[in-house]
Parts: sequence; C-alpha cells; structure tokens
Amino acid sequence: MRNNKFWSIYLSLFAAFICILFPWSGIALSLRPDFMLLVILFWLLRAPNQCSVGTAWFMGLWVDLATGGIFGQYALAYTITTFFAVIYQRRLVLFSSTQQLVYVFSLLSLSQLILLILKAFAGHEFLGWTYFLPSVTGVLLWQIAVSFGLNTGRHSHGS
Amino acid sequence: MMRGIHQNFDQQQAPAFFARGPSPLARLTFFTAMSLALMATDSRLQYLAEVREKLMTLLHPLQVIANAPSELYHNTDEYFSTHHYLLAENARLKEQALTQDIALQRLNILNLENTNLRDLLEAKQSLTETSILAEIIHVGRDSFTKKIIVNRGKNHHVITGAAAVDAKGVIGQVTRTYPSSSEITLITDKSLAIPVQIERNGLRAIAFGHGRDNTLDLPYLPANVDIKRGDKLVTSGIDGVYPAGLAVATVVEMKTTQDSPFAHIVCMPTGGIENDRQLLLVSIPEVRQESATGFPANAAPASKKNRPSAAAPVAVTAPAITAPAATSTKPAQNTKPAIAAEPAPTPSANAGSRPHAQQ
Repeated sequence: MRNNKFWSIYLSLFAAFICILFPWSGIALSLRPDFMLLVILFWLLRAPNQCSVGTAWFMGLWVDLATGGIFGQYALAYTITTFFAVIYQRRLVLFSSTQQLVYVFSLLSLSQLILLILKAFAGHEFLGWTYFLPSVTGVLLWQIAVSFGLNTGRHSHGS
Repeated sequence: MMRGIHQNFDQQQAPAFFARGPSPLARLTFFTAMSLALMATDSRLQYLAEVREKLMTLLHPLQVIANAPSELYHNTDEYFSTHHYLLAENARLKEQALTQDIALQRLNILNLENTNLRDLLEAKQSLTETSILAEIIHVGRDSFTKKIIVNRGKNHHVITGAAAVDAKGVIGQVTRTYPSSSEITLITDKSLAIPVQIERNGLRAIAFGHGRDNTLDLPYLPANVDIKRGDKLVTSGIDGVYPAGLAVATVVEMKTTQDSPFAHIVCMPTGGIENDRQLLLVSIPEVRQESATGFPANAAPASKKNRPSAAAPVAVTAPAITAPAATSTKPAQNTKPAIAAEPAPTPSANAGSRPHAQQ
C-alpha cells in the first residue's frame, strides 16, 4: 500500500512536470496553472507523511531548471507555500468544499506572490493583474478534478 | 528488509498523525536557507552553470516527449495541407527565390567592390560570419523574461553570444548553450541591450528591451536628438557580437517632455519576435581572420571591441595617403585604383556609417 502510494506520488509529480514542459505560449502561457504546485498540494493533503516541504523544494528546483530562471526561486516559493499548507492541513478535515477552494486559491496566490517579490528583486516589473490568472485557472482545475471524483482528503485522513 | 521492519516499528511507536520527522518550521527554515543560498550562488557566482548544463541534458528527453503532441499536430497538419495551398506556396517561394537571386547577384558584385575598396584603404576585411539554422522548440515558460529555446546547441557549434536573426531582422542573442539546445534572450527582454545606428543619419545609440509589451526603448538620448517616427534602426556592429547593418527596429513613437532632458523613444522590432519557427544563429568568429589579401592586420587593432578612440580616425586616414602605394603591391586589385584613390579620404568625413571609425 505504502509502496503503491509512493509510486503514484512520484508518477503524478512527473506527469505535472511534463505538463509544465509542454510548449506553452501566448495566452495559454499566461493562463497555465501551476500543475506542479497543485499536485504537491494534493499529496500534501492526502499523504502528508510521504510528501512534505522537502518534496516541494526538490520539485521546485526542477521547475526552476525548466523555466530557466535563477535556481531556487520556485524552490523557495514552493517551500513557503507548502509550509502554510502543512500548518493548516489538519484543519482541512473540517473545511467545506468552498472553504477548501479558497484555501487552495490563497496558497496558489501566495506562491505567485513570493515569485513576484523574488522577480522584483531581480529587477523585473509587475506584469499587471493578469499575472495572478494562473491561480484562478489552478483553482478551476482543482474543482474540476474534485468534481470528477478526486478525493482531496477532505473526508479521509491518514489513509 | 531491515527498512520494512523499522518502518513498521516506527508506525507502532507513534501514530501516523505525529510521525512527521522534523517540525514543519524546521523544514521551512532549512529549505528556505537552501533556496536562498542557491539563488545567491546562481545569480552572483558562476558555479552552477555546469550543473545546469548537465541537468538540462537529463531534461532533454523529457522535453522531446512533451513536445511530441504539438510536433505530431504540426506534422499531420502539414501532411493534410491541400494541393492548392502547396501549389500557391510553391509559386510564391519561386518568385521570392527569383527576386532574391537577382539581389544576390548584385550583392556579389557589391561584395567584390567592397573588398577592393577595403584593400585600397588597408582597412580590415569585414568578417564572414557563420550561421546555423535553428528551430524554436518552445518559448520561455517564465512570463517575466522574453526567452526562447531552440533546437541547436553546443553539439552543433552554437556559441554563447551568437546573434539570432530571422528574415526580417535581429530577434535576440544566445545567452545559454546546452548540449543540444540553446536559450535565446529576445531583444525585447529587459536585460538585453543592443548597439544600434539610425539608418538615416548614422547616429549611434543603444536599444534596451522594454520587457512588457514587445517594444524597445532608446534611453539617454537628448531631447533635441535627430530621430523621427519611422526611422529604421540597424545594428552598428561596434560590439563585435552582431554583424553590422541588420535591421533591428523601427521608431514608432518619439516624445519629449518638459520635465526630462531625455527623449522618450519607443521602437517596434522588425524581426518576427513572436511568430517565427525558424531562425538563424549568426556568430562572428572569435579571432579576426588574417586578411585574405596578405596585408598585415595593422590598420585597426585586432581587439574584438573597437572602442571609439583617437586611434580609429588615424587608422582610416593614414591608409588614405598610402593607398596608391598599397595598390601597386596588389596587381590583382588594380582594376579601379583611379576611382578609389579619389574618394579615399571621404570615409573619415562620414565616419558615422563605418564601424571602425567611430568618432
């Protein structure tokens, strides 16, 4: 069981990474949800023992490599985001599905905000509010996955 | 085996609820520190360049997999393109080839003439640059930077610093090379500057990418600068990176305000920054080739960057005096010494149009 879950975690993370590697461009790029963070958050809620801050940091490094930016940007954003996710993970059992969506949305935005601050340090300009669109599409994707029957750990814990 | 037992034991000892290892705060501190250290190392020191290269090699097969669907779509799309469309395209390309052939013939003659004139002036031969055709694999995934990745890399002798050019003009510069791909920073990226000249009057300037909308800025030019809307910017070639004379951008807006001593100039790139799949990577050879005509390369310093200096005009004017002597040593070039000897001093007069004779 444990082994099985281990594999499904890493296969899904791998799939998310491939999704990031797709040749996105133009509008699709500005709408692209952060697949990696979504998958990490999902496993953080479902299997906090196997997927934690360290996993997020490690996967963040790969995303850094794929985006070609400075090493550590996504890693740091994912680390801080997953930290907050872990803190509130136990309360999530009590959350309604709407509350859960707000929770996921704020985590996704937090990650983008951290990236924005890091980019601002590197001398880049704010791209306007469309910058936060990926958080919205990310939540939509989350909701679609939930409505297709994906158990996001709301009513099951320690499974 | 041991591990399994250990895990079972561990789970019995502490409920899964608490078996989390170090506290989240400890993990946060540790990994944040790691990230900050990595960022500092990567942005200030060059240690990680090699690591990145190795990892990119690892990543390459994944990239190929990820590109497969769109690649397949493109291929099938081409396969099913209609007969009529192909005929039309063929006719158009033939016509284009014909007009370009004619232009090329003139270019050959002009090249020959240019070589002769340069010989007469003992000026350095212009460099023959090497070019590699590359195809865009994907555009950068970071919306803050303007970057594209192409499918040619170190294995195909792409070097960092090569200029990326399409049919209409310069589009960027190679900033990172990996074994089988390389990263091109577009000229619209905020961190890229490109030395340009106004085609109309030879005025030199440096164009900076704007970063957000696909435009270029020409900062630090005085408000009374002679630039008009519609002026064309071409590469000046002073930098030793871009070949001289390539189209870069067109001025679309020129504003002067009361409160700033500088003009506000916005330019639109001429190259198809956003809409091409193929491009050329043009690199100037590192070592200036020994002049093929046998002249010692003393007319201009052999350094890569001919910074504007007092030596440059001397280098141009001095050969003008000795030009007839130079022609006598080269019987092959004697076809038009009389014509060339007359206008020889003129390059120093309109020095702005020549890369070597800057100010």
